[in-house]
Amino acid sequence: MLIPLAALWKKECLALVRDWHALAALFAMPAVFILVMSLALADSLSGQREASLAYAVLDIDATPISRALDAQMGDTEALRKTPSPSGEAEIRRQVRDREIAFAVIIPQGFAQQVGANQTPEIRILSDPAVPAAMRGGFRQIVETAVIRTWLAHVLERLGQSMMLPQLRHATERVGPPSIIAETVGRDGNGSAPLPSSVQQNVPAWLIFSMFFVVIPISAVFIGERQRGTLQRLRAQRVSFGLMLAGKFAPYLFINQMQAVLMVAVGRWLVPLCGGEAFALPATTQGIAALLLMSLAVSIAATAWALLIASLARSSEQATILGGIGNILMGAIGGIMVPRFIMPGAMQQWTRLSPMDWALEGFHQAMLRQGGVADILPSFFALSCFGLAALAAAVFLNCRARPT
Amino acid sequence: MIRIGSLSYRYRPNAPLALDGISLNIARGAVHGLLGPNGAGKTTLISLLAGLLPHPAGQISIVGEPLDAWRATHPRAIALVPQDYAFYPMLTVAENLAFFSGVQGIPRPQRTRLCDEALAFARLEAVAKQRAEELSGGLRRRLNLAIGLVGAPEILLLDEPTVGVDPASRQFLLEAVRRFAANGRTVVYSSHYMEEVDAVCQEVSILDSGKVLRAGPTGEVKQGRTLEQVFMEITGHSLRE
Repeated sequence: MLIPLAALWKKECLALVRDWHALAALFAMPAVFILVMSLALADSLSGQREASLAYAVLDIDATPISRALDAQMGDTEALRKTPSPSGEAEIRRQVRDREIAFAVIIPQGFAQQVGANQTPEIRILSDPAVPAAMRGGFRQIVETAVIRTWLAHVLERLGQSMMLPQLRHATERVGPPSIIAETVGRDGNGSAPLPSSVQQNVPAWLIFSMFFVVIPISAVFIGERQRGTLQRLRAQRVSFGLMLAGKFAPYLFINQMQAVLMVAVGRWLVPLCGGEAFALPATTQGIAALLLMSLAVSIAATAWALLIASLARSSEQATILGGIGNILMGAIGGIMVPRFIMPGAMQQWTRLSPMDWALEGFHQAMLRQGGVADILPSFFALSCFGLAALAAAVFLNCRARPT
Repeated sequence: MIRIGSLSYRYRPNAPLALDGISLNIARGAVHGLLGPNGAGKTTLISLLAGLLPHPAGQISIVGEPLDAWRATHPRAIALVPQDYAFYPMLTVAENLAFFSGVQGIPRPQRTRLCDEALAFARLEAVAKQRAEELSGGLRRRLNLAIGLVGAPEILLLDEPTVGVDPASRQFLLEAVRRFAANGRTVVYSSHYMEEVDAVCQEVSILDSGKVLRAGPTGEVKQGRTLEQVFMEITGHSLRE
C-alpha cells in the first residue's frame, strides 16, 4: 500500500512543480495580494491613518462668530485643513480638481442666525469619489463645531445677562469629551488587539489561494481521464480510493506550504515594504486552532477541486468552473470585501460561502484570541463541506464508468 | 491460456449487445489478433479481459481459473496498453516507468531492474530523461508499450498499438510484440490493420457487430487468401468501410 501511495504522491508533486501556471496561482498570486492589499488597506483598518484628505473653510460671513466656527475646525486624524480660498468659485474649483475633498462655506448672515436663535445654515461641498462613510464623518465634525460655536455664544450671552463672567469661554475650557475605545476579546475584557490590515489580509488571501488547488488537481485528473491513464491504472488494479488518497495527501501538504509562505510574507515581507507585521496567536491554544483551521480549509479545498475535476469535461472547463466558483465564494465570503462593510442583508449571504466559514475560524483564533473550542464550528462546517464534495466526486466517477 | 465462453456484454440495460455470445481460446505464448472494424467489439473484449468492465454474461478463465480469482493471485499478470498515450506528458520517460511500476507495488530494487529492462526492450534508453511531451509520435508509442511491460506481465493486451505512427516505428513495435511473445508470454492484439495482424499474429479472430465470425490459426483462417478477402467473404463489406 505504501509503495503505490508514494508513487502517486511523487507523481502529483512532480506534475505540480512542472506546472508554472499552477505554482503562480498557488504561491505568487496570494503573496502579491497579501502584500498589495495589506499596504493599500493599512490606513483604513489600523485607525492610525495619515491625514491624506484635505478640506477648506470659506468664511463669507466674516464675523467673530463665523471666525470662531472656523477656529473650531482644525486638523483631524484623517483630514487636514488647508488655507481658505479667495471665493466660492475658487473653492468649488479646488473640490472639482480634487485638491481638497471637502469645502465648508459659512454663508453671509451666519452670525445673525446664531444671534437670533435660528437654525444656522452651513454648506458642505464634497468630492463625489469620497466614500459615504467619510462624508458622514465630515458632516458630523462640522455639526459638532457649529453646536459648540452656538453653545459658546449662548453661554456668553447668558453670562453677560446674569453677571456671571465665568460662563464666558466655558466651552473652550471644558474641551472635547474624552472617549476611551476598547476592543472586546474572547474573555470579555478589553484586551484584544486592533486588527491590522495584514491580520485581515493574510488569512483572507490564504483561504482564497488554498481553494486554487482546483487548477493543478483538475488539470492532472482530467488529463488522466482523457488520455486513458485512469483506465490503465484501473487495469493495474489501482483502486479509486487509492487514487484519491494519492491526490489528497500531497495537496494537504501543499496547502500547508502555502500557509507557511503566506505567514512569512505577512510577518517579514509586508513590514519590509512599510506595513505592519503579521502576528501569530500568542498561546498554544491559538496556534493549535490555526493549524486545525488550516487543515479544515485544505480538506474542503481539495475535495472541492476533485468535485470540479469530476464535473468538468476539459481542463479549460475546470479552470472556468473552479475559477469562477472560487471568485464567487471569495466575493460572497468576505475575502475581497470584509463582511462588516457589507449591508445587513448581504451579510446573511456570506454564511453560504465556505470561505466565510474559514475566515470566521481564522478570525476567532487570530483576532479574538480564541482557542480550539472556538474554531470547532468552522472546522466541522468545512470538514462536512469537504466530505460532501468528496462523496459527490466519488459518485460522479463511479457513475461515469460504463456498467 | 485464456478461455472465453459465451461472453456477452452491453453497456447499458437497453443498449445493443457490444459482445454477443462470443467464445474463444487463446493459447499460451500466442499473439492473438482481434481483427474487425470500429464498433466490432474489440475494445470491449480487451476491456473485459483487463477487468475494466464489471459483470459480463458468460465466462472468462485464465489457466482454468475465473478471471477475477486468477487476477487476485496474479495482480500484475495482465497489462493493458491502451490506444491513447496513457502516461504523464510532464514526467520524463524514466519517471513514467518508475511511477507505473511503483503504483503496482513493486519494491525498489526489482522496480529499477524492471524499468531498465522495459527501457531497453523499447529502445528508449537515449530518451530516458526526456519529458514524454517532447517525444515524437513513434517514441510515445514505444513508451506506451514499455509502460505495459514494467510489471513483467504474462498477458499483454494491446489495443490498436500502432495508430498514428510512421512505418519504421510500426515495424519496430511489431518486432517488439514478436520478441515479447517469444518468451512464452501471451499477447492479445486488437487492430483494424489486416497487414499487421497477418504479419505478427499466429492466431486471429475476425469480429463484426459483437460476434466472432471466424477464429483459429491465421493460416487456417486465410486458407491461401488475404485476410481482407476472407473478411469481405464473410461480412460482405470491406474492413475499411
